[in-house]
Amino acid sequence: MNIFYLLMPLALLLGLFFLAAFIWFAAHGEYEDLETPAYRILVPDSNDNER
Amino acid sequence: MHFTAVIMKVLSAPILNSEFRNCMHCGNSVKNSELSGFCCRGCETVYGLLKERKLMRFYALQDSDNSVVKPVSNYNVDEDFSYLDSDAFKERYAFNNQREMRFYLEGVHCAACIWLTEKLPDFVSGVEFLRLNLANSVALVRIASNGSFAAAASELRKLGYFPHPTKQQEFSVKESSENRKHLVQLAIAGAMTGNIMLFAAALYAGADGFFAQTLRWLSFFLYIPVLSYSAQSFFLSAYIAFSKKQVSIDVPIVFGIVVGTIASVTNLLLNSPHIYFDSLSAIIFLLLSTRYLLKRIHQKALNSSEFLHFMMPSRARRKNATTGVFEEVLVDAIKVGDIVQVHPKECFPADGIIRSGESSANIALLTGEALPIDVFPGEKVHAGTYNEAAPLEVEVVSSGADTRLGKILSSMEASFLKKAPIVSYLDQVGQIFIFAVLFLTAVAFFIGFTSSWYEALNRALAVAIVVCPCTFALATPLAISLAISKAAKLGIIVKGADVIERLSQVDTIFFDKTGTLTNGELSVLQWNSFSPEAEAVLISLEKNSRHPIAQAIQKYFSSAKEKVCIAPTLIGFKETSGRGVSAFINNIFYEARRSSIEIRNKQKEEILSVVALYRNEEKIAEVILGDHLRKNSLEVIKKLKQLKMDIRLLSGDSESAVSSVARALEIPECNVIAAASPEVKGQIVKEHKNSFMIGDGANDAIALASAYVSMAVQGGMEVSLRAADSYSSVAGIAPVLQLLALGKKTMNIIRHNLVFAVFYNIVGITAALSGHLNPLFAAILMPLSAFTVISYTVFRLQR
Repeated sequence: MNIFYLLMPLALLLGLFFLAAFIWFAAHGEYEDLETPAYRILVPDSNDNER
Repeated sequence: MHFTAVIMKVLSAPILNSEFRNCMHCGNSVKNSELSGFCCRGCETVYGLLKERKLMRFYALQDSDNSVVKPVSNYNVDEDFSYLDSDAFKERYAFNNQREMRFYLEGVHCAACIWLTEKLPDFVSGVEFLRLNLANSVALVRIASNGSFAAAASELRKLGYFPHPTKQQEFSVKESSENRKHLVQLAIAGAMTGNIMLFAAALYAGADGFFAQTLRWLSFFLYIPVLSYSAQSFFLSAYIAFSKKQVSIDVPIVFGIVVGTIASVTNLLLNSPHIYFDSLSAIIFLLLSTRYLLKRIHQKALNSSEFLHFMMPSRARRKNATTGVFEEVLVDAIKVGDIVQVHPKECFPADGIIRSGESSANIALLTGEALPIDVFPGEKVHAGTYNEAAPLEVEVVSSGADTRLGKILSSMEASFLKKAPIVSYLDQVGQIFIFAVLFLTAVAFFIGFTSSWYEALNRALAVAIVVCPCTFALATPLAISLAISKAAKLGIIVKGADVIERLSQVDTIFFDKTGTLTNGELSVLQWNSFSPEAEAVLISLEKNSRHPIAQAIQKYFSSAKEKVCIAPTLIGFKETSGRGVSAFINNIFYEARRSSIEIRNKQKEEILSVVALYRNEEKIAEVILGDHLRKNSLEVIKKLKQLKMDIRLLSGDSESAVSSVARALEIPECNVIAAASPEVKGQIVKEHKNSFMIGDGANDAIALASAYVSMAVQGGMEVSLRAADSYSSVAGIAPVLQLLALGKKTMNIIRHNLVFAVFYNIVGITAALSGHLNPLFAAILMPLSAFTVISYTVFRLQR
């Protein structure tokens, strides 16, 4: 049973890490345009060097 | 703005051809034999440009994508974009140190377009960066400090994408930061709910002792950000409702959250097992999700390219007083006394007097009159009407808000403000609901109080938890957002969530005539020939004129038959305004001229004009012109009558023109109002309680704004689009039927959900009041009921 006291904080930390990553992406506009990237990936040498 | 709509109409028309060759740029069949391998000059130029710039990869990308490039058609490379670099313009449209600007690009649609437009910095010096959003066809262009927006725009134009600058609207910045915040709130609520539920599972499964205690405290800590950050908007809106002494749907939600939180925290401190952090955070998460969905679907409709198209600045060509050269300026910059030039198919930018040129003007959008009128120097033309035939120079006598159009606009805005806010069905029910909940909780408390203090609290809590506002708070917004997105798929943009509800109450429908029930353009209704040579003669005569009548005749003959006529040589061609055209062919004098209109009542469509062809004053042919009814108008009206709708016709056109249309559509005389001014139209519509107005022009704008619910049809003016609650991008009035059906269906689903909720609540509350339902079981039952209504809503509306 005692292993839970180690695993639970670890699991929570892992979850919090992904939550933080999501928040960071949301704050940087990653979820604003959900359509164009699907097309842009078809274009190999598009100007992806900015942003 | 309307100009482009006209082009799109022309482009979408099927092209008849005899040869089976395809254009090397757009893949359309080639009709014009002068251009080898291209359908039009524009396509040829773009192809040449791409070849020269070594951008031929465009075609490879486009093939792999199976998409179709639109033909470039009307090609005017010398378009003047210099106004983009003027300080006054940059002040309003550019941002980020005036180095960035957004353009709506007409015609972008595939991966190849993204590739091509984003290549712009490679071959236009001064352009640093271009990023295209395909969802709404908006490109963000950044230029170097010495760069020019005009250069970028004219290059885009050359590539076949017409750039229209769009304003970086303040609300769109606000909108995007609000969206981000909402998304973060949603993410936190989701992540915390997931973890709390895992702990709850362990607790339900029978964890005990110190372990259970740890799990409860952990749930509490994870619940704190959900309550304090994610649930902010509920508290805020409940507070606003409270301070206005109103009850919104957020009030019962906040009540539930507060009661649940207090009870859970008390039990946590008392070491009792009854905590509800899992249900509370789950309900917050679900509510936030549906709200986010509704918001995004709504924004998507309002940001769609069709809509943006109309929000573009209008321009005009003004004569520079010192140099005498015409230059492009924004319409706002035009002042009284300026001379502006207006090309055919362009909109007059202001009210003015014609100084030079003879033409005809289409005034249908301003007055509803279907027949174009001939205009001469010295006559007045109005903003919002269209020049049809020849270039004109107009001296401005009033501009902006002082024009006829401007006055209609301001009175439309006034009627918008006066429009009574709708007390939605939801809020009415919610109001009863909150008082019922408060009352029942109190009752539960007192019933329980007879046995013990603890029992009283427990029963009150069970009532508060089992009572589920989810039907109102979850399923209803979901139903409405699904209905809005369904409408968008049908090509109808719905501007507000309450429109769906209003639609279900409509009983009187007002139609505008010109452009709504009819096509709004002159076309040939009938062609009577008494002599074999008549057709060839008429075609070659009318070919030389740009008058709307001549163009309608040309269009009729070019599309009706594929006959190859050998055009006879004309000698001494003469066009007389208001009369017709004449010339000598093989020494015989031919004249095509307007004859007086004999209204034939048996004729189903409206006759606007009759042109007769004379050979040496002997009548050899007759063309009857009018405004065709839209193909499905009669059918739609019949179906609307079956729905017991009161159909009315409201037009600014003359009595005779309107009544013949009414007869054709089987609308009784008493329901027809002709020669109504825009203000009168608005007044009549306002007098009916549940009115649904459908129109297209500026003359409908006030009526559209004052109607209970309204729709602007395709091809309408910007003003009407702004005034109406919804906008159809599909030709004709068939969307009216679809929209009404959708409104009915959606409200039906909402009512079904309400019936279920009432049933569920009666059972739940009875059980809770009698003490058969403990709060823990209530907490399990509540999400189940939410799940039921949500799946029913989705299931019904997806089909």
